[in-house]
Amino acid sequence: MQRVVVTGVGAITPLGENADTLVQALNQGISGVRALDAPWTAQLASPLAAPVTVPVETHFPKLRRLVLDRVAQLSLLASREALSQSGLDFHGDAGLECGIFWGTGMGGATTLEQAYVESLLNKATRPRPSTIVMFMANSAAGQIGIEYKIRGPSFTYSSACSSSAVAIGEAFTAIREGRIRYAVAGGGEALLTLGVMKAWESLQTLAKPDPLHPEASCKPFSKDRSGFILGEGAAALILESAASAEARGAGILAEIIGYGNTTDASHITQPDAGGQARAMCAALSQAGVGPNEIHHINAHGTGTLVGDVSETQAIKQAFGEAARRIPISATKALHGHLMGATGAVEMVAALGALQTRTVPPTAHLDHPDPECDLDYVPEGARTLAVLDTVMSNSFGFGGNNAVLIARRYSS
Amino acid sequence: MLVEEFGLTPEQVHAESRLDELGVDSLATVEFMFMLEDKFKLKMTGEPVPIKTVGDIAREVDAMVAKQGIVLDAGGQAS
Repeated sequence: MQRVVVTGVGAITPLGENADTLVQALNQGISGVRALDAPWTAQLASPLAAPVTVPVETHFPKLRRLVLDRVAQLSLLASREALSQSGLDFHGDAGLECGIFWGTGMGGATTLEQAYVESLLNKATRPRPSTIVMFMANSAAGQIGIEYKIRGPSFTYSSACSSSAVAIGEAFTAIREGRIRYAVAGGGEALLTLGVMKAWESLQTLAKPDPLHPEASCKPFSKDRSGFILGEGAAALILESAASAEARGAGILAEIIGYGNTTDASHITQPDAGGQARAMCAALSQAGVGPNEIHHINAHGTGTLVGDVSETQAIKQAFGEAARRIPISATKALHGHLMGATGAVEMVAALGALQTRTVPPTAHLDHPDPECDLDYVPEGARTLAVLDTVMSNSFGFGGNNAVLIARRYSS
Repeated sequence: MLVEEFGLTPEQVHAESRLDELGVDSLATVEFMFMLEDKFKLKMTGEPVPIKTVGDIAREVDAMVAKQGIVLDAGGQAS
């Protein structure tokens, strides 16, 4: 088995244009949640969302944009940052040894909604000819290959909120087993459209606006939590065999050591603590580390009434007594719930914690819930004397649970 | 329109400019044909037409405008 390391990270999120701005904003407790600036928000119960506010379109020539939905644009920008940090160039033979593992919940949601509007509401017009290639789920993966000449295997994973964690886990597995040498792994999501947001409202999982502090409306693990805030963005990791990274003298950010993936098989939306605990245990087992050796967990922590209790129970099941000693952060309070991209964004956050030895806070946790009684770091960022191994949890509708473990690399 | 909609420069766009060399692939060509249909209020026949250059598109549009009796004003807009 090959050891698998991370040699590049990239993220374009509601907290800024790159991975550094994400990690810094999380540690400072800055929220990316705001009222969307669009006339159609009048049709929503709440205009709150976590949009990417840095320029996106301007990075691409007009002719290129003809086939790039916003989700592909975000995905390309995150991949570009990660590739740049890795120092890899896939135009040559290396491109044949690199795979693409990408997660998305909805693919090109903006394009699809526009096509519906044109077809159903405005019958005189017709969808653009590039509609299909912009909304298909694998559009971002295809465009990443085209842009960076990555020619190995490519896969698109869609398991709702765990999509990009699954993508990273499967990329890790492929390199570990020696099938490929490199991977671009992560995910993108861009679903802040009227139709999609109304559908989420109907599901009753979105946070009620905090009347005084709307940016603090998502309150994971707090007694007064009421749900999550939809967000958009993308994040990418460059994974590589440790042997390859060492041979070329690459900067190694971390080693991925464990991945667990389970299915609840119980309910399409209600999480199952048992299924989540099994995924954590599977990742711990593969990593060969015990409960006391995990120093930080980036929780799935969506801020729903049911979800946060389930995850708390699952962590207790998986870690036993050690559960109370682990600092746990729910960063969705600040960057929002990026659906198919969120697992990758949170893995970037967890790797940032590893590198800075600083755990980001669970923001807006002002009223502890007796049913959520672990250490969620409510007081603000916390620097630890020892922070060498981190876990990131991602649980998706449909009952999929994906858990990743990374540690500080030492040869 | 190629300059405004596709971000090409006026220097790039001549009657003899090859579309593939401008980066206008088959998908972008269809996109452009749709835009032309909307602008000139004409209907392309759907018959396969060999289009390789900017001039090929102009000739096809001229032919359709004439065939479909579309009257253009001085600014080139369909009346």
